[in-house]
Amino acid sequence: MKSPITILLLLFAFIHSNAQTTIKGTITDTKGVPIVGANIYLDGTYDGSSSDENGAFSFISSETGVQTLIVSFISFETFSLQQEITDMKNLNIRLKEDVNSLGSVVLNAGTFSAGDNSKTAVLSPMDIVTTAGAAGDYIGAFQTLPGTSTVAEDGRLFVRGGDANETSIYIDGLKVFQPYSATTNNIPTRGRFSPFLFKGTNFSTGGYSAEYGDALSSVLLLNTINEPDQEKTDISLINVGVGVGNTQKWKKNSLSINAFYLNLKPYQEIISQRFNWIKPYESLSGEAVYRYSFKNGLLKLYAGLNYTDFNLIQEDINTPLGVNIKLKNRNTYLNTSYKGSLGNDWSIATGTSFANDYSDIKFDSTLVDDEINSFHFKLKFKKRFSNRFKLNIGAEQFINEFSEKAEDVSFGTFRSKFDNNSTAVFTEANLFFNKKIAMKAGVRGVHNSLLDYTKVSPRISFAYKTSSKSQISLAYGDFYQNPEQNVLKYNQTLSPEKSSHYIFNYLYQKNRRTFRAEAYYKSYDKLIKYDTEGPEFSSLFTNKGNGYATGLDIFWRDNKSIKNLEYWASYSYLDTKRDYKNYPSEATPNFAAKHNLSLVTKYWIKDWKSLVSTTYNFASGRPYNDPNQITFQNQKTKSYNSLNFSWAYLLSQQKILYFSVSNALGIDNVFNYQYANTPNINGDFARRAIRPGADRFFIIGFFWTISENKTDNQLDNL
Amino acid sequence: MKTIVSLLIFLTISMINTINAQSSYEKGMSKAFELWKAKTPDEAINLFERIAKAEKENWLPYYYAAQVHITTTFNTKDAEVIESRLKKAQEYLNEAKTLSKENAEILIMEALLNTAYVAYNPSVYAMTLSGKVEELYQKAKALEPNNPRAMLYHAEWKMGGAKFFGKDPKAFCPEVEKAILYFEKETVKTPFYPKWGKNQVKRVQQNCKS
Repeated sequence: MKSPITILLLLFAFIHSNAQTTIKGTITDTKGVPIVGANIYLDGTYDGSSSDENGAFSFISSETGVQTLIVSFISFETFSLQQEITDMKNLNIRLKEDVNSLGSVVLNAGTFSAGDNSKTAVLSPMDIVTTAGAAGDYIGAFQTLPGTSTVAEDGRLFVRGGDANETSIYIDGLKVFQPYSATTNNIPTRGRFSPFLFKGTNFSTGGYSAEYGDALSSVLLLNTINEPDQEKTDISLINVGVGVGNTQKWKKNSLSINAFYLNLKPYQEIISQRFNWIKPYESLSGEAVYRYSFKNGLLKLYAGLNYTDFNLIQEDINTPLGVNIKLKNRNTYLNTSYKGSLGNDWSIATGTSFANDYSDIKFDSTLVDDEINSFHFKLKFKKRFSNRFKLNIGAEQFINEFSEKAEDVSFGTFRSKFDNNSTAVFTEANLFFNKKIAMKAGVRGVHNSLLDYTKVSPRISFAYKTSSKSQISLAYGDFYQNPEQNVLKYNQTLSPEKSSHYIFNYLYQKNRRTFRAEAYYKSYDKLIKYDTEGPEFSSLFTNKGNGYATGLDIFWRDNKSIKNLEYWASYSYLDTKRDYKNYPSEATPNFAAKHNLSLVTKYWIKDWKSLVSTTYNFASGRPYNDPNQITFQNQKTKSYNSLNFSWAYLLSQQKILYFSVSNALGIDNVFNYQYANTPNINGDFARRAIRPGADRFFIIGFFWTISENKTDNQLDNL
Repeated sequence: MKTIVSLLIFLTISMINTINAQSSYEKGMSKAFELWKAKTPDEAINLFERIAKAEKENWLPYYYAAQVHITTTFNTKDAEVIESRLKKAQEYLNEAKTLSKENAEILIMEALLNTAYVAYNPSVYAMTLSGKVEELYQKAKALEPNNPRAMLYHAEWKMGGAKFFGKDPKAFCPEVEKAILYFEKETVKTPFYPKWGKNQVKRVQQNCKS
């Protein structure tokens, strides 16, 4: 019998003479270039090492049997190898680049991103709201980006020769049916939503994803904040209204609410207006966002209510006394979305949006009551097969109920009503071949029950990284859109309008400087035409219209060259013609200026604790039709110029004094001309210039944020 | 006799194993700190990561791997390097957070990570991340009111804000004094538990000189 001591000694010897294996190899990238500093180790053990300057590594392990070797390195995909440890010799491991890492190619043709989570973000969320001239309007800031046309009397987004209704707006992936506040001709509108609820935005001026339909030109995608940073109360006192907001946070959920009351009456009593306001613009709006985080997902509820009313007499060349327009509008918008992971690399995004819009309008003696109920449901699944291949698949349903009652002594009561429902399915694949080449291919199918059509539209985009700082991308897509409701209420046998986009994009980004150039061609087909001045009951409607838009958009942003100064410049060249509506022949529409230029600067003056912003907008003359001329739409207005200025002064970290003036130089701008329906005794058609309600607009405000930590302020709301 | 011998053997083996495990963790951590000191931060990060993966339930190696990444960004101006390091650091901190919830030290590190974003590109990140940094410090202080790092770095953060808004950063000097006091009282809970920061007091105090 061996003594216990011997056994003990033997055991010790055994422990210390564990068979040792040397694991050796080299790490390179896919092209064979050595990777220095990769982390190589046996999973679950302390045995490992880093690769040297030749990519070589070597370490000793006393483990035995089948082991898992892990190789990880920043910006590369983690590699793992399961093998008998004694076979782990002279390993040649090639790491694949992580296509999700920085410096990867981005599919960005057509798109401007804003927000800090995007690799190609050209604007930060703060930029959107500190832009002079935007006056806190979310939409205003996007009008300084290339691809948009300045149509100051309208206020909506006109993209690449497209009419304003060719742009669709989405919040958290769900459609916003009435994104702009109610207004009438030549009184510019504003976005209904307060900017501080959003964290990121994608503004696509063409070639967008198969997920979005019913828009010929553009989509604007707004995302609400997932989790507010802190609890706070915001108070705004402005010369045209008052607002209050509050955010509360709990463990898993949070609630933000805000309300704003706007009344232009006191302002218009001081500053003279060109329009004859009987009851100036007044509106009351409220919004609430509730967020709840589940273990694997996030639920968001958004509700917006808005009430607007005004009454004015608008000049009209055909009516010496002017036209009386009275409007009351009530809009309710609800949006519920859920995003979450389902495990196994599947994720879900689903939600519904609902809008009820009621307008009571009076045009002189004609009374119009409109009521629209709209509903959108979307269900989307995403499967991540690998970092390099992702697939989206989804379906959506739109329900639209429109009803109108028009009353006038001349025609009695006229009622129209239609249900416009669409069902769509889409799928899209994202493919990264490597860090340099990526493509996205998708297809969308839609069936509309009102017009009884089914359309399939392909979308494809491709991007190639030409150097570490630059890339090129291409995109193509077909887009369909239903005729507008003022056409649909008279005719329900038409086809949808169609456009096709061809886009070439070049992007260069280095050291907080961005240069972006995008050339495009867009064809229009099946545009709605009618033979009366506007769409009417008796109009003859056809789908025989068509057109094109082609141009070049340039964007330059520099945050680096001059200390404390940020600026961006946009230039858009646009060549477009279309034959639509009541055009006798192909012509350039009034909203499409050939040259648009914006220059935005923001300068932080430390000693004055002030952020001074200026925005200069230029648009070349806009076409208009002079019936005294033989050729249709061959005249041009003078060019448009506007210099906007704003100054935010920080009284303290939480109190801001704000002043802004639009068109500071008071340049007399003309948007269009209205001609008389009948010639005067000399045989000439008389005209009236369409000009803004006032040359300048002043805002003076005081913004106060009350929060526990005293650093937040409303600078990002201005 | 035989049972006693078996028991003895068993005990010895388990003891040896425990010592081995204990010492390889300690050896590994010490070695990683050495590598960090020796100006080979990436080697240190790799080792911290290996330890984290082997230990499985210890938040400290992840915490330090994040810290090395964050501090390394102070020495470079390359945006891509900074962004990718900070992204990786956040991943490490997320791992640490799943292992140790409601941990003041991790929150402080996360505040520093966000401060690094602000420092490298204030025009993009100052406005969006300021609220978050503030909130992280407050949460950390609520969990550990006497944490010297929370006190010191929060004071420094507020001094930066004051300077930006043209105010006197000296208002926060009493907080630095408090931090010094807390540093002196600080006791180490477990081996390698965070206790760094005392040598930064002088640097922060530069703001207190007129």
